Amino acid sequence: MEKSNQQPTIATAFKKAIMGFLTLSPMILAVIGLVALFQTYITPDMLSKFFGHGEGLDILDGTIIGAISSGNGAISYVVADGLKQQGVSDYALIAFIMAWTTLSLTHLPAEASVFGTRFTAYRNILTFLCTLIIAYLSATTLRLFL
Amino acid sequence: MKKLKFKGLKFLFFVVALFILVSIFDFENIAKIMDKTGNMLFKILPIFALVITLTALINYFLKPKKIMKYFGKDSGTKGIFYTLLGGIISHGPMYAWYPMLDDMRKHGLKFGLIATFMYARAVKIPLLPFMVGLFGLPFTVIVNVYILIFAIFQGKLIDLLIKEKEK
Repeated sequence: MEKSNQQPTIATAFKKAIMGFLTLSPMILAVIGLVALFQTYITPDMLSKFFGHGEGLDILDGTIIGAISSGNGAISYVVADGLKQQGVSDYALIAFIMAWTTLSLTHLPAEASVFGTRFTAYRNILTFLCTLIIAYLSATTLRLFL
Repeated sequence: MKKLKFKGLKFLFFVVALFILVSIFDFENIAKIMDKTGNMLFKILPIFALVITLTALINYFLKPKKIMKYFGKDSGTKGIFYTLLGGIISHGPMYAWYPMLDDMRKHGLKFGLIATFMYARAVKIPLLPFMVGLFGLPFTVIVNVYILIFAIFQGKLIDLLIKEKEK
């Protein structure tokens, strides 16, 4: 057995990295499958119907909708641009983009199984709150400058 | 050789069960979903290779003592700086980075820095020109500066919360 104070060989280091990856492979496969399911049933058209109820509510809507959506960050920009054309406020757009890229319901079980329930709960609650605050601060700062 | 202990098997069975249900009740969409799953998997294969290589290099070059020095409880500003940088330049979906973070955590990576890394990933360098094109430069700068500030803030809070619980 390799002692912790010994320098591992490069082959051992790769073997360990591959083993670590394989250990988490069922979870990664499950997340990919779940993301594909969400992308099929939750379309950008469906999302646009939730906005336009005032700035405060739009920030909350943007955060919740961003969190349940999934996919590449670039898609969130395209969807947000479409929403912008429909007159949705900057508050909602920023909340939506932020939540899309930092929160994900589909990743929650995987995150909890790797890092523990406590860390996952704290991190996601804080991320949710930070998204609301950043959306408000960013849109307000933008108003000051433009 | 050490036996593999898979993580997330129950979660995988749950998703497989969902696929079976979809194939029973919405047969038209199942091919589309399978196709999406395959495409996503194929797209992130290079990222998996990158993550495995990075993890191996970290294992090889950074002994647990060094990981503790750079990313452990006394890592300070340097640890935050390297973590922000890592978060900003890392590509692909978050779950692709779980194995590397999990490995580093076993060697002393702070929970707060994991949170900082995850939040800083919202700044996506390759997508910045796209963001500027769609929403303008002031929007892009303001949002991304706030993301970095809050990534640090969130990391500090997580460390405080977890430390408080451990007392």
